[in-house]
Amino acid sequence: MLGKTAIRLAVMIFVMSLAGIAQGQDKLQNYFSDAAGKVKVTTDPTQKREILNKSFEKMSKALNTVQGSPLISKDDKAGIAHFKVVLKEKQDELAGLNGYDRVSDAQLNDFADYVVQDMEQATETVTISLVALLLIIIIAILI
Amino acid sequence: MERESSASGRQSCVHPLDHAGLLNAFRVFCCLALGAILFSCSSPPPAPSETAPEEVNALPPRYIIVFVIHGDGGYLYHDTDGNKYRADEEAVNSAKIVAERNSQAEVFIFHEKRKRHFLFLFARHDGEFYYYRNGRLLAQESYWRDHGQFRFDPEVELYNRFRAEEHSRPKKFFLYLGHEIPEMDGTGYDASYKDRSFTVPDLVDGLKHFTLDSTKFDLIALSTCFNGTPHTIAALSPYAQYIIASPGNLHLSYFDLHPFEALDVGLRDEDVSAFAKMCAHQSFERLTKDIQTEITVAVYDVGRVQRFLNSVDSVYDHTLTTLKDKASTSIEHCDCAEDSAYLRPAMSDGIDVFYRPARFGRSTHKQDHSGWECLRLLK
Repeated sequence: MLGKTAIRLAVMIFVMSLAGIAQGQDKLQNYFSDAAGKVKVTTDPTQKREILNKSFEKMSKALNTVQGSPLISKDDKAGIAHFKVVLKEKQDELAGLNGYDRVSDAQLNDFADYVVQDMEQATETVTISLVALLLIIIIAILI
Repeated sequence: MERESSASGRQSCVHPLDHAGLLNAFRVFCCLALGAILFSCSSPPPAPSETAPEEVNALPPRYIIVFVIHGDGGYLYHDTDGNKYRADEEAVNSAKIVAERNSQAEVFIFHEKRKRHFLFLFARHDGEFYYYRNGRLLAQESYWRDHGQFRFDPEVELYNRFRAEEHSRPKKFFLYLGHEIPEMDGTGYDASYKDRSFTVPDLVDGLKHFTLDSTKFDLIALSTCFNGTPHTIAALSPYAQYIIASPGNLHLSYFDLHPFEALDVGLRDEDVSAFAKMCAHQSFERLTKDIQTEITVAVYDVGRVQRFLNSVDSVYDHTLTTLKDKASTSIEHCDCAEDSAYLRPAMSDGIDVFYRPARFGRSTHKQDHSGWECLRLLK
């Protein structure tokens, strides 16, 4: 069973790698855009926060898993560490921790857009290889 | 057992074909391969033009616009409704509209695309060139981006091949749209060419060849992140009267091309400075509607910023040398005014800065920007 999953994962990575590294970045950007879409169709602020929190937590877990993997290079690990810092800032701001004012209920839609836009910019400035990007996305989806 | 079933499977694929069938299959493959090669190497036929060449040549171009649009990387972005866009494709479409709507302009559009393969084997052209004169598409050619000693050799060759003879001094514009043009290293800029590097000196070399007649571009616009730095502006200075660039981490394809659609109106008074400010302001206004991250667009009057550039030249070079071997994750961008080594009393003279802080994050209280971006080690 584990063998089959590993083969599927390898095939998935191989097929997606044919499309190039930009494909990995696209998937990462889609992840946050999907979460923002869900936030906007929800009217209840508590649910909005929950959606955002869940998306941060899933991504954070995926980043931790991939960062700890022996398959990942030193450069990737540094890139992932930087990406985690960016993500943690968003989590803190949403919750009002570490010197941030808590994002108000009225600003949650704008904050969701901010996350998408800032992450789109972050993926351009942080260098993470295709394999690592794909692993992050696959794990974030599977969690 | 596994071997048997595998062998049997393979047999079932081959068995129905006799020798003639195999030969036919081989011929079909050869035709496909030949077709693929021809398809990948041929240029699309010249676009039909309703205007006779002599009629097109009758009006000497008053404007020359060169667009270089980089699309060999991650250029996906989402609007606030969640719609996906490819920034480079959007930019090419906007550039074509600019070309069609200016009846006295010569427009060169170079789209640097990702390298793709047909059937995973046959490389296809990774550059697309469009040439418009007086609102008409006169030529469209596919080209190879890696043919030439220098990065912009293929583009310069096409530019020299097609450009019309200049009867009077036209207004000249150069617009580069893409990711931040690195000031050091630069490998990995192109997703298709991992080992190829692209840095500011490569752009400078291209500009040098685009301006062999010694006339500067009236305006250079960099629709990129973080290129509003002392180093980049100084490097581009010999080739431009005015430069529009962003010192910040702007959303992809920030630059609004609408003002270029009616150059006769925008440049009615031949005032490039006013036109540049209008372009920057319009881009800024468009972005502030939906963008939550920081927005910074600056117009540099090249002549007036030289004093500041000369005063910080050696400091910036020293920073670049120091940071050269550091990991990109340990370097951050900052407003030069926040670094005492660059702080000067009149450092923003000659710059018009359109700035709005990010609506979230750590810098929401930063109320202004000097117009210059610098690099420093992360604290």
